[in-house]
Amino acid sequence: MTTELATNGKPFVHQQAAHCETGVTSALFRHQGVDISEPMIFGIGSGIFFGYLPFLKLSHLPITAFRSKPGSVFRKAAKRLGASFVIKTYRDPQKGMDELRQVLKTGKIVGLATNLYWLPYVSERHRHNFSGHNIIVLRETDCGFRICDPTFALVDCTADGLERARFVPGPLNPRGHMYYTKSVNPHPDLRGACIKGMKDSCNAMLKIPIPIFGVRGIRFLAKRVVKSPDKLGFQEACRNLAGLVRWVEETGTGGAGFRYMYAAFMHEAAGLFGSAELADLAEEMDAIGNNWRDFSVVSARIIKKRGKEEATFVKAGELMLTCANREEAFFNNLQKVVRKLKA
Amino acid sequence: MKINEVPQDDVPDYSQGIKKGNYALDDQGKYVMVPSKGWVIDEQINKMAYDEYQDKVEETRKAVLAGQKSPLAYYMELRQMIPKFLGKTAGIATFRVKRHLRPEIFSKLNDSVLDKYAKALAITREDLKIVPQNSYER
Repeated sequence: MTTELATNGKPFVHQQAAHCETGVTSALFRHQGVDISEPMIFGIGSGIFFGYLPFLKLSHLPITAFRSKPGSVFRKAAKRLGASFVIKTYRDPQKGMDELRQVLKTGKIVGLATNLYWLPYVSERHRHNFSGHNIIVLRETDCGFRICDPTFALVDCTADGLERARFVPGPLNPRGHMYYTKSVNPHPDLRGACIKGMKDSCNAMLKIPIPIFGVRGIRFLAKRVVKSPDKLGFQEACRNLAGLVRWVEETGTGGAGFRYMYAAFMHEAAGLFGSAELADLAEEMDAIGNNWRDFSVVSARIIKKRGKEEATFVKAGELMLTCANREEAFFNNLQKVVRKLKA
Repeated sequence: MKINEVPQDDVPDYSQGIKKGNYALDDQGKYVMVPSKGWVIDEQINKMAYDEYQDKVEETRKAVLAGQKSPLAYYMELRQMIPKFLGKTAGIATFRVKRHLRPEIFSKLNDSVLDKYAKALAITREDLKIVPQNSYER
């Protein structure tokens, strides 16, 4: 934990976060005096999701999302917590940068979506052409901007580098996506917000009538994984599987495709409502997270060609199906429990 | 996941000592953020993706030196772009970008087009015309 000053001299506390967008959102709220944790934001903003998007490619591999679409966590969480907020995108980079400077001058701190490849402080190893990385700009300095990257640290960034990272076209083009809270409700209705968030998550995981989203999406992908070595050849199937494991573990998920983070949210919510049922569900979510971890381990073994008997694509697909079944049961139970909760 | 189950493997550090956050249960049954030193699985998957990227860049560099592709192709790979996004960044139609990947067409480009590419790829115009003789040092 480190402290840094914003433009108006208000101290900003940097707290390490697991995921960029939830980290940014909770930091924006904390800065305005509402103490709210990252998992709480994740749950209230209905961050948990599953979507397999074979038609969207990132470095030639399909996108598998374990979270809802970028930007929605902030929007939903801010709405449900009764904050007034601004979300903007720009066509003209110059205008986007000018407005950023203006907002900073009023003493606000601003969340931005940027491209991970062009952020100057990112190490060579972690650079991907991925345009959904969220950061906070604290203030303008002589040589650029002072930035807090919740998954990383407090860093300096040149104005040119930031402009490029904000506006470079790419998959999921950010178009200078910028967001900040104008004012927040100092005593938000946490219970009501939690209920809304949980209901929304249940619908997203169970009710979307398209087979690539939610629980059905996991099953869809599981079948594809099982068939992939026959369809694509072993090498290519391994590449695809490795890409999938990266989405589970690498993209700042707090472990196991956000499932541990959601378990943390359920746990906090259980304390908030004093509900033993929610506490049980938190344990179940944790177990689902362990299941996803097992999947990652088995996948890594397949790719390394170790343990030929037990680590096969069929086994990996089976593990995913187990996850799907358990998650379906989990969200069905959650739906029943949420109905009984009172805001 | 319990605190002691958070992977703390001894893997090379690429992020200047900044550790990745994991949510885990502590002894009192509360979730806390636990920094992880790294996980062999993560490292293996990351290394695979990174090696693949480097191999691709190196392959393209050799193809350019052999006269099969234009230097533009090399810098496009280096910046992890594809013709569609390079075209959008530079303000040039995708089909033209694809044509410019051929060395005989690239060599006839005038300076204004080269400048657009150089700006989009964040290099100088002179750099854009050549590729390194030796593999890219990192």
